[in-house]
Formats: sequence, C-alpha cells, structure tokens
Amino acid sequence: MTSLAYMFREAFNNFGRNALVVLGAILAVFISLTLTFGTVVFGEVVRVNTLQWAEDVRVIAWLEDDMTLDATAALQNEVATWPQVADVFYISKQEAFQEALVLFSNNDAMLRILEESPDILPASLRVQPADPEEYGLIVTRLASTPGVEKVQSAGDAIDAMIALRDGLQVMFWLLAVALGVAAVALIANTIHMAIYARREEIEIMRLVGASDWFIRTPFLIEGALEGLIGGALAVTFIVVAQQMAVDRLSDLPDWINLAVQNDFILRQGALVLLFGVAAGLIGSSLSLAVHRTLRS
Amino acid sequence: MIKLENVTKVYPGATVAVKDINLDIAKGEFVFLVGASGSGKSTLIRLMMREEMPTNGDVWIAGKHASQLPSWKVPYLRRSIGTVFQDFKLLPTKTAYENVAFAMEVTAKHRSIIRNQVPQVLKLVGLSDKSDRLPRQLSGGEQQRVAIARAFVNRPLILLADEPTGNLDPGTSVGIMRILDHINRTGTTVVMATHDHAIVDAMQRRVVELVRGRVMRDESRGVYETRKNSDTTPERDPQATQEQAAVVAQGEKREPSAEAAGTESTETRPVQDDVEGAVQ
Repeated sequence: MTSLAYMFREAFNNFGRNALVVLGAILAVFISLTLTFGTVVFGEVVRVNTLQWAEDVRVIAWLEDDMTLDATAALQNEVATWPQVADVFYISKQEAFQEALVLFSNNDAMLRILEESPDILPASLRVQPADPEEYGLIVTRLASTPGVEKVQSAGDAIDAMIALRDGLQVMFWLLAVALGVAAVALIANTIHMAIYARREEIEIMRLVGASDWFIRTPFLIEGALEGLIGGALAVTFIVVAQQMAVDRLSDLPDWINLAVQNDFILRQGALVLLFGVAAGLIGSSLSLAVHRTLRS
Repeated sequence: MIKLENVTKVYPGATVAVKDINLDIAKGEFVFLVGASGSGKSTLIRLMMREEMPTNGDVWIAGKHASQLPSWKVPYLRRSIGTVFQDFKLLPTKTAYENVAFAMEVTAKHRSIIRNQVPQVLKLVGLSDKSDRLPRQLSGGEQQRVAIARAFVNRPLILLADEPTGNLDPGTSVGIMRILDHINRTGTTVVMATHDHAIVDAMQRRVVELVRGRVMRDESRGVYETRKNSDTTPERDPQATQEQAAVVAQGEKREPSAEAAGTESTETRPVQDDVEGAVQ
C-alpha cells in the first residue's frame, strides 16, 4: 500500500514539474486518438446507413411476396448473366428484418412496427454492378422484370457518402498513425525529462537498494496516465461531437441515421483508452530503456 | 564479510585501476583504505558495493558471489551495504528526516517501522533536534551525519565510506569518526577510504595501503604511512595533521605522523572517549 501510494505520488509530481511538456504529450495523444476514434465512429455511421449498400451493392430489387423460391432462384440466375452485373445476392425476409433492426436502431416507432410484424419487409435481390458508377441500365431492366415489385438504386447521396468515407478513412488513418508515433515520442520525452529531473533520487535509490521495478514503475505509471488522459479526452470529444451532430442536424433526410449504438461507443471507446495507455507504456518503456541513469 | 580474490579492474581505454587484489575482511572489522589519489581506493569501494564488476577475479560480499550476481539481484545485495560519500549525496528538497526515511521508503519498509527507526538513527548521529532541517540549513558535518544515518538506517552488515571526511574540517571529522566507530561497535563491518592521516593514525585499525592499484601494505593496526613509501602518498598539510592527531588521540605525545611511522601503539583507545569534548 505504502509503495503504491508512493508511486502514484511520484508519477503525479512530474505533471507539475514538467507541465508544458506533459501537456504537449497529452495533446498529441488526444489529437491522434480523436482522429482514430472519429474515423471509427464515422465509419460506423456510414456502415449503418449504407448497410443495404454494403459490398458495392448499388441496386436493390424488392420482390413480390408471393414469389416462390424456385422462381426467385431462376430470376437470380438470370440477372447474374447480364453483362452489366458483377454479382447478385438474395436477401430473405428474415435477413431484411435483422438489417432493419440495425438500420432503425434509434427510431422507436419503426422498431415497434418491426416487432409487431417481423415479415413486413419483402425479400430482395441485391445487385453488384460491374462498374459501380454505371447501374442505370440494370435499374431499367429489373423494373420491367416480372416478380420485381420495386427497384431502388443507391443514388448520388449514398455514392457520395461511401466515397467520402473511403477517402477520409485513408487520410485519417495516415494522420492518426503519424500523430500516434509523435504521441509516443512526446511521451518518451516527458519521461526522459522526468528521469533527468529525478536523477539524484534515482542514484540514491540504487545506492540504498531500491529494486528495479520500484524505480521504474512510477515512470511507467506516468506514461500510462498521460496516454489514458489523452485517450479519455479523445473519447469525450468524439462522444460530445457525435451527440451535437445528432441534435443539430435534425433536418437531414429521415433515412440518414447519425446515431451510433451505445455498446459500440463503449466497446470502441474502451479500445481507444487501451490504445492511449499502450502508447504511454511504449513511450515510457522506450525512455527507460535508453536512459543511462537506469543502467546497472 | 568481504573477500576479493585476484581482482583486477581495467576501465575502458585500458586504464588499470586495481591489479591482483587479494583482500579478506572479516565481520566487524574496521578497515582503512589509504593511498594516493588514483591509487584505486574508490575503485575498490565501488567493487565492494558492486557498482563495478571486476575485469578479472572474484568478489564476495556479505556471503554473495557479487561478481557473478545477476544485475536484478543487486538491489537486494545493496540492502546489506550502507554507503557514505565525500559529497554526502543528500536530496536538497528533503529534510534530514525525509532523507533518512527515503532509504526505507524506497526499499518498501512499512510506515510504522520508518516512524520508529528514523528518529532512533538520527539520535544516534546526534541530529534529533535538526530532523526537520533541509540540507542547506545544515553544516557540512551535519549533512554527513544525515548521510551516515541514511546509510545505517536499514542496519547494513557493511558500511562503505569513500572519503567521508574529505570535505570536512579536522574537528568535524573527529565527530564523524566517532559515529563510524560507534556503528562499527554494533558489529557492522566498516571500510573507509581516506586521505586523512590523523584519523588513521589515531584510530589504530587495520590499514590497507594501495599503490598504483596494488596492495602495498596490509597491517592489522597500522598508521597512514611508513617511511619506505612516503613518496607515493599525496602532499598533506602537516599543520592540520598535527592538530587532528592531537585532538583524536588526546594526551598521547605524538610527533607528526611521518616521524611517528612504524611506532605501533599497543593500545587502541576508543575514539569517542577522547574526543567527547572536541565535538560538543
């Protein structure tokens, strides 16, 4: 107990001693993890909203309820032979119901309707065009095919959203990785300064027989705390920004759902905190490994 | 308690610090390491606290084969060794009490033991009334006494002192020696590297003289120097030596040590009895 308290006291002491450098390190972790977490959350928003359009599906043919399985299979095979079509999947009523549960997760009225009549949604064929931009002809042909009740195409909004996600994700990940490296380096630097500031104490600790872990642990705790604080700031920032976006952008079309499920935020947020702590531990370990004061 | 067998230490750049040292120090002994600057005294001290590893030979400290001890076990060996240096090595932001307590805190001693032991040891070194002073508010001698208290608070088997009186005036040095003598009487083995003629001569303890990294002399009741190798010892201030000798060995008619060399005193008088008045 005594030594644990001692270690946390020592770890916190350096926050005051090197406030600016510590702040810099925490900010670097914060920005890096905000980008990472933001990318993940935005990716999730896009994923939920484009659930039907996943895997390059651009055209959906909702089928008439009285169509037999054999007829459906025949239709699927036929569409698959069209030259403009890369692939066709069949989504049953049941699968459509599962999909809708996610899609309308923040829409209580819709969920209630789904609960009452799980088979309300029709089965469908999902069509992957050979050229993702060119699917007009497929829409026209499907519309005049018997057994197809209604044809829906992705449209410009979905195309734009997916393109935006793909573009942003590459850019954000690159930035996040670069800033992540910077964050580790900055944490290593704060620990380096902390070791330097305490070099006399460390010398005496080694003289009187303090064990290695006793000397090192405060620095590891300090690095981990810096990472944890940066990560916590990032999670808070994204959650607040996400909430604000949901509240402020209420005039968006109904079919766009900006909310993300809580358990997703919890899971990914915990992961982000873990990343922060890991960055802190890596940074401080690097510093401890190279610092001459600690070599025996 | 400490045993060196054929120990040679060569520093990078091929500086031979000590060569073929054989030394056996028994439990409870008080040993002076004397010799000129650069004769290898400090290297020997550092080998005895396993701050250095020998290039050749074996070192045993407190029953442990130190020259083969893995580095992660060194801290546990250090707990049986107290160290005192010329420059005190106190933490400037901690009070006397905190400096002593630090040695117990960082070896994870229980708080109640710390509260019990630190005042005891500060009393032993005569600093009970100054326990809340910072090092800069203490004299050199008082700072060194704090350092000794810190070295002794974990009750080590061995106390290694590298020029503990090097920065202190003769009168203050006597007070330090009194404490080291007292610690030695509790059964702690004391090894002290020193340049201080008067102290060595007055204490009449085992003297190991190093010349250019080799043991030149090892006498069970020696003085600082013998005529034969007086040219290898550093310059000294005969005035200071004389004063100190007079203080430490009060009443004994004694010439300055160079002349007194070789005259073995048959009686070892406890230093503390003689110097009681001088340090108060």
